[in-house]
Formats: sequence, C-alpha cells, structure tokens
Amino acid sequence: MTAQPRARSFSPSPDFVRAVLKGHSGLGLAFAAALYLVCLTGTLAVFAREFQRWENPTAPRMESVSAETLNRAYLAALEKAGDGVEHVFINLPNRDLPWLMVTTEKDGERESLLADADGELTGGADMLWSEFLTRLHIHLHLPRSWGGFIVGLSGVALLSSLISGILAHPRIFRDAFHLRLGGSRRLQEADLHNRIGVWALPFHVIVSLTGALLGLSIVIVGVLGLALFKGDTDKVYSLFLPPHPVDDPRPAPPLDLRPMFAQAVARAPDGRIEYVMLEHPTEMGGAALFNVRTTPNRIAGVSAFAFDREGSLYHSSKAEDSNLGEKILGSLGPLHFGWFAGYTVKIAYGILGLGLTYLAAGGVHIWLARRRDKGRPAPNWEKVWASVIWGQPLALTAAAIAAIGWPTAELVLPIAVWGVVSLLALAAAWPLAPAALSRLGRGLTGALLLFLTTFHAIGRPGGDPVATAINLSLAAGGLLLLYTVARPHLSRALV
Amino acid sequence: MSDAAFAGLMLLMLAGGAAGALLLRHAWRLREGKTPWRLAGWATLVFTMVWPAFALGPARGPFIAITLISAAAFAVVASSLQVRAAKTPRAARARASGGDSLAPEPAERPTTPWRTTLRWLLAGPIGMVAAMGIGICYAVWMPGETQTRLLIGGLIVPVVWGAAMAWTLADSRILRATAVLVGTAVVGFTLAILKGL
Repeated sequence: MTAQPRARSFSPSPDFVRAVLKGHSGLGLAFAAALYLVCLTGTLAVFAREFQRWENPTAPRMESVSAETLNRAYLAALEKAGDGVEHVFINLPNRDLPWLMVTTEKDGERESLLADADGELTGGADMLWSEFLTRLHIHLHLPRSWGGFIVGLSGVALLSSLISGILAHPRIFRDAFHLRLGGSRRLQEADLHNRIGVWALPFHVIVSLTGALLGLSIVIVGVLGLALFKGDTDKVYSLFLPPHPVDDPRPAPPLDLRPMFAQAVARAPDGRIEYVMLEHPTEMGGAALFNVRTTPNRIAGVSAFAFDREGSLYHSSKAEDSNLGEKILGSLGPLHFGWFAGYTVKIAYGILGLGLTYLAAGGVHIWLARRRDKGRPAPNWEKVWASVIWGQPLALTAAAIAAIGWPTAELVLPIAVWGVVSLLALAAAWPLAPAALSRLGRGLTGALLLFLTTFHAIGRPGGDPVATAINLSLAAGGLLLLYTVARPHLSRALV
Repeated sequence: MSDAAFAGLMLLMLAGGAAGALLLRHAWRLREGKTPWRLAGWATLVFTMVWPAFALGPARGPFIAITLISAAAFAVVASSLQVRAAKTPRAARARASGGDSLAPEPAERPTTPWRTTLRWLLAGPIGMVAAMGIGICYAVWMPGETQTRLLIGGLIVPVVWGAAMAWTLADSRILRATAVLVGTAVVGFTLAILKGL
C-alpha cells in the first residue's frame, strides 16, 4: 500500500461530501427558477441607467448645471404639476446619466420631466422598460415587502449554495482549469458550473450577500425595531437617514434652491451635486436635501446637506466623516449593481452576472443529466426547465418591445406581456420536446431582438451614443442566438 | 484622475488577473516543481488586489480588482477549452455505472414526510430566526458606533442563515440541528432584549 499524500488529510470524507451534495442539490432545485429570474434580470439591471438613456435617446445631455438652471427647471415642473406637490426629486447630470431630470410626486403619483441646459422643460422621460426591469429584479412586481423578501430569500439560498458548493466539490480547485465541452453532457455542464462557480466566487459572494441584505432589509429592520425599540422601526431608520423637517403645512411660495445650492457648493467646493430632494416645497415647513459626491475614490462618497425654507442648515453628514456602518450602507447598492467604477466594471459585472445566471440554470441541467445517465430520466422536468430557460429571454424581449412601442402606457402593460409570454412558453412545454423548446426560444428571442433594435432605431432616432451601443449589443445578441439555431452542434449543446 | 489613467489602471488589473491565473494554470499542469509557480500565481493575484487600494481607494480599489481578476481568469479558463466528440446517452450511462463518476453521487438517505418538513423548516424560518438572534445579539453587545453594529449585525443574518441552510439540508441528525438552531435563537434574542441598545 502506498502512503497517501499529506494534502489528502485535509479532504472531507466521502460521506460528508455526499451529504452536502444532497443539500446543495435540493436547495438549488427548490430555488432554481427564482434564482434564474433574479440573476437574469439583475444582469440586465446593471445597465439600468444605460437602458434609461436608450429609452430617451433625444434627451438633452449636459455635463453640469448652474443653480439658476436647476431652479428654473424645478419651478417649471412644479407649475406643470399644479398644487399639492408633496415631493420633488431632481437628478443632476452625472457621467452615467447626463440629464437634468425633475420628478414630482403628488397624491402618490410621480411624473418625470427632462430639462435642457437652460432649465426649459423638454418633455417627459420614458422609463417604462427600465422601471419594469428593475422592479422585476427588486421585488418581482409583487407587493414590495413580500417580493423583496422572496428576492432576499433567494440571495440567502444562493449564498448557502456557494457554501455547500465549495464543500461538496473537493476537486473544485484541483480542476480549476478544466473546461471540457461537447463530450458527455453531464461533464460539460459540471465543468461550466464549477469553473464559473470557483473563478467568480468573490463576485458571487458580494452579489448574493448584498442582495440578501437589501431584500431582507424590511424584515431585519422590523425585527430590530421589535427587539430593541419596542416595535418603533422609525428609530432604526432615523439612525441612517437625515431627520424630517418640522411639519408646517401653511402655504408658502415655492422654495428657492439658489441660495441652498450656493451653500452646498461652499461646504463641498470639490464636490459635485448629484441629487436634490425637496419635501413639501410649497409649504412653510418645506426643506431641501442636497446629495454631493465629495470623495470620488470611495464607493459611498456622498455627503448630504439639508436646508429649511430659510436656507438654514439643519443636517449635515460628510462622506469623509462617516462611520463604518454608514459606509457599508452606502456601498450595498453600488456593489450589488456594479455602479462604482464606470463602464469597465459594469461590463465585467454583466459578464460575471451572465455566469451567475448560467450557474443557476446549469445546476438543474446537471441534475437532469445525472438522472438521464443513471437511466432515470425526468422528461417532463426537462421540458419545463427548457421552457423556463429560453422562455424568460423571450418574455423580457417582448416586454421591451411593448414598453418601447407604447412608452406612455402604465407599468401593467410590460408586466402583462411578460406574464403572458412566460405562460405561453410554459404551455409550449406540453407538446414540444426540450430541443424544440430551446430552438424555438432562441430563434424567437433572436428575431425579436433584431425587430426591437430596428423598431427602436427607426422610431426613436437620437444622438445618444449609449443608446446606439445598447442597440448594437442587443442586435449582436439577437444574431448570436439565431446563429446557434442555425448550427446543429450548438443547438445540441444549448438544450 | 484622468480617464486615460483610470483606463490604464483597469488594464493593469486585468493583466494582473490574467497573469496570476496563467501562472496557476502552469503550476496545475506540472507533475513536479509546482510550488514556485503556485506561489507566484497566488502572489500575483494578491498583489493585484492590494495595489489598487492605494491608487483607487481602500475599498473601491480592491473591489474593482476582484471584479476584473474574475473576468480575466474566465478568459484564461476559456483559453483552456477542450472540445470533445459528443457521447451517446448509452456511453454516458456506461461511464457513470462503471464508477468513473464526475463527482460523488448525492447521499440517498431514508426520510419521512415529517423529517422532510422539519428539515425545510430548519433551513427556512427556524434558521432565519436563529440567524436574526445572532445578528441582533451582535448589534447589542459588541462595541462600536450604533450604525456599524446594526449593519454588521444585519450582514451576519444572511451569512448565518445561509450557513444554517447548508448545514440542516446536509446533516442527517435532524434533531441535533433543531436543538442547536432553536437554542441559538432563544439565547440570542434573550441576550439582546436583556441589554437593549
């Protein structure tokens, strides 16, 4: 008998591995569809701001605005909305979204308007598709607390799968460079699953942990409030948010933002005002909160200054003085969506996000291939899974066409289109084989993507290069999908 | 920092990630004398994660590096791609039954409906309550700013819940898992309520 290498002593026992693999497999199957949908929409949501520009290619673009321009645009939006505006949200131009956009909120309804460099309103901002997409990712278009909880739970399941996945695959690092495609289906899927899992592990952990915390935040804050503040969750929020202004509902002329703008600039001379939020702008108790990006080398580099009607500062929090908890809170969103270092990181997030989406899909493929290899195939599940995998890109593309075609429609339109196409894809699993479902899904998605880009280019011509880049990317994706349909060996690999 | 300089740093990080992965791949392929290559590979990856902290911010830099290293490593792994001839299902079955398995088969354990129900309750709501007990206990008892304690306590919740899920779905001693998770929840919440913020 030869001596075992020393490294083997660190290997977990086969029984342990098999037990963990059982849990890994069960958890992956239980959450497969939710994880696939959340990961797919999350990958697209990385480019949410680019999609906003794609929906508004003619929006006036600028690098910065003056206090005068800002004030003029906000007053015009306020006048257009009429009496009773409760909040106004103003996005100032930045690199990702070089617009001046004013959103008014009245009776719970919001209206977003774009303005030019002189502060003149140019029209409404179309954001039906980007809103549909981001809300689908954040709360699945369910009531916010329930939907957020399900998405957060999916994040926990993903995190748990990462833990069990590493423990259940003792060869995962030894085989770190093996990528064998085209042979046994199970070997191909296992190689892809394990390579993507291990090389992007830090990304997977970051995205699942931040996503879980963001999704579960309502529950966690509720429990914290219950356990520590006798059920008063407002006390938890007040630790992180600027205080509300003193309520005084007496009517007053609209707030003048110009002196506040000057003060914010004076307090952060090297900063860049990115966002202004007004509370009750036509009441005596009106106030304005200015968010200023002051430290570009930080993920959470935003300082906040709040002024009352008289222009007196009643709250100030500087990014450079924030504590670790505030820094973590400010970093959760940017780290989750890849919004902290420009296009290179966004593209990398897009690639890694596609990998994570494949991870969710591939786990089920491995299970199905394992059953087939063992002579216990699950043909109905194979059909259902193929219809989910290839039905979702089709449903999302159809929703995008509806949103671009009827930009003034209510959000219910793309939701309905997405829902109907998803159901039709599931229904197609009844008569069609997995290979046919896959081919049909890829073919239709590819054709619809080409139609969408053509329709967009003709119907919404504009000079925004980001919109052109999105159209080119979508068209390339469509052509790639059609190419896979035309090549039988690729079709076989993508069932 | 100018756009060109920023892009240059990004390229350096991509190059560092690719170089580290290539060195590791070389080490993996050797039968002997792996250690220097393996050390060089890991050192390159660690260095690529550390230097951006000085150039692009102590948190932002390493997070950019982690992202770009993963993307560069994908490219290296993709360059190792082997394309094989398709196997028939019968050949694949023969391969699996011949003991040449890809990975261990998941455990086949006898179960009953109540054990399955309890297992998923442990992985779900009971694991969540236990994780919240630990998270809140941390927020209450650890030193530091209130916001920091609350945020780290919040981050603990999904991590512990995820670990509890992985454990309870794998462990065949389900009553032990029940006792540990229920005990953790009771102790955690009791300690938290006793002290308060």
